[in-house]
Amino acid sequence: MYGGGNTFEGIKTDSITLEDPIKLAEFEARIERGEKIEPTDWMPQLYRKQLIRMIEQHGHSEIIGALPEGTWITRAPGFKRKMALMAKVQDEVGHAQLLYSAAETLGKSREQMIDDLITGKSKYSNIFNYPTFTWADCCFISWLVDAGAIVNQLANAKGSYGPYCRALDRICAEESFHLKYGHHCVIYLASGTKKQRDMFQEALNRWWPPMMHFFGPSDKISTHTEVLMKWKVKMGTNDDMRNQFLDMYVPKIWELGFTIPDPKLKKNIETNLPAGQAGRWEYTEPDWEEFKRVINGDGPCNKERLEVRRVAEERGKWVREALKTPKTKYVMPLA
Amino acid sequence: MNSLDPRVSRLPQVGQEGKIFPKAPLDQFGTYEVFVQSKEGKPFQHEGIVHAPNLELAYVLAKETFTRRFTCVSLYVVDTRDVFVSPLTDGNRNVYDLLDDVNDDEGKNKFEIYHLAKRGKQHMYAGTVVAASVGGALSKAKAQFGKEKIVYNVWAIETSNIRFTQHEERELWLTLPEKKFRDAAEYKGGGKLKNFLESSSKS
Ligand SMILES: [Fe+2]
Ligand SMILES: [Fe+2]
Ligand SMILES: [Fe+2]
Repeated sequence: MYGGGNTFEGIKTDSITLEDPIKLAEFEARIERGEKIEPTDWMPQLYRKQLIRMIEQHGHSEIIGALPEGTWITRAPGFKRKMALMAKVQDEVGHAQLLYSAAETLGKSREQMIDDLITGKSKYSNIFNYPTFTWADCCFISWLVDAGAIVNQLANAKGSYGPYCRALDRICAEESFHLKYGHHCVIYLASGTKKQRDMFQEALNRWWPPMMHFFGPSDKISTHTEVLMKWKVKMGTNDDMRNQFLDMYVPKIWELGFTIPDPKLKKNIETNLPAGQAGRWEYTEPDWEEFKRVINGDGPCNKERLEVRRVAEERGKWVREALKTPKTKYVMPLA
Repeated sequence: MNSLDPRVSRLPQVGQEGKIFPKAPLDQFGTYEVFVQSKEGKPFQHEGIVHAPNLELAYVLAKETFTRRFTCVSLYVVDTRDVFVSPLTDGNRNVYDLLDDVNDDEGKNKFEIYHLAKRGKQHMYAGTVVAASVGGALSKAKAQFGKEKIVYNVWAIETSNIRFTQHEERELWLTLPEKKFRDAAEYKGGGKLKNFLESSSKS
């Protein structure tokens, strides 16, 4: 997903025992061999359900994620930044289109997904429930939230469901511009006036806690997802993803002379780890109560984010109605 | 509602907060399959779908969704319902072996044939055949390009149902390389970063 980890709470695995054991074994062997599952293949109910949920949430996160940055288009500093930010926001909305299509191949209609987002039934990445007060907040998102999303997306692109992987390959190719653009924006602030530096430092202070939440609850408290790992729905634990992000970006933030607001943040190079991984990051335990509260609707911007989406839907209604062609029949997209 | 978002704080509001009428089926329109040719001489490949009210708008939306960033030379769309889809096989089972032979040599309809050569990959254009029916088209496709490699899934699309890119529309993609502001390679912060690091190590 765009922001990982918040998807799999309370999954019930009892339905697996009701599946046809021969088909289940064939399905698992296919994944084991590294082959992709395609829409018309047999799949366990739980696999279908969790994939719909994950891909749909990812799609919603792209749409809602475009909002906090979108409000800065009119106020972006200079023409070039404005053009770039517009292109980036347009990309994010395009990503949602690709993801919704992938989810549709599993049998959930786009109409239902849109309704479920607006009524609050479906979730999206928690981090977009926080406000962008200044241009520096917007730069934080472009650089670091996108960086976090890329960590997740690159991992998920190696998953088992063909249509989702293909959508992600496309998305990852576009993300490289977002990341470079975001970093460029932050370098400008870092090497600018004291006011500009302070502005980014303040944004960093505001966004660090939600950024740590971004990858989902710590492995110590999150529900077991072994079966989803085995089926290559979930490609790494929340803590692994978080660690990978810290490993790649903390040095880059420090390099620019900014302070990350966590006195306990440091890399422990003595931790025993599989070969290739140099060490594990240590940090103050994020406030998981706040995470839960915000994801359940009580964050600073949850209401307005959904309101923007709902109003857009209401305003577009007459256009959709005018264009409707009564002869059309819905069929599931092919791949 | 108090909000930093001008769409909430400034525009007149409609409907009721938190409420939406459940959408009717097809509120978001039916689907169209999108095929893209990346370079001259390369085969078309399947890219995904768009929802659209008709073939012409599907073409416009496909251009926006799939070729906004990547240049290509041609693109086409077809209603999902106009694509014949074979079963999907695996291992070393060629899907053509499952299809009955149909002989309809008198036919004059053109069909575009697409193959899936590896699971997880896109369907690629294999060739065009002339037949009276889909069955006849597949039999011809099997004889002409279904023997060399294992094919896991085959699609057949009657050519007359496709919305192709017209010759003069090819310039749609000409301006893409000029849009440098959305090209990752344009954002080289390196020089500025280096200067910054050098000056901060001095102070
Ligand atoms: Fe995105
Ligand atoms: Fe993003
Ligand atoms: Fe992005």
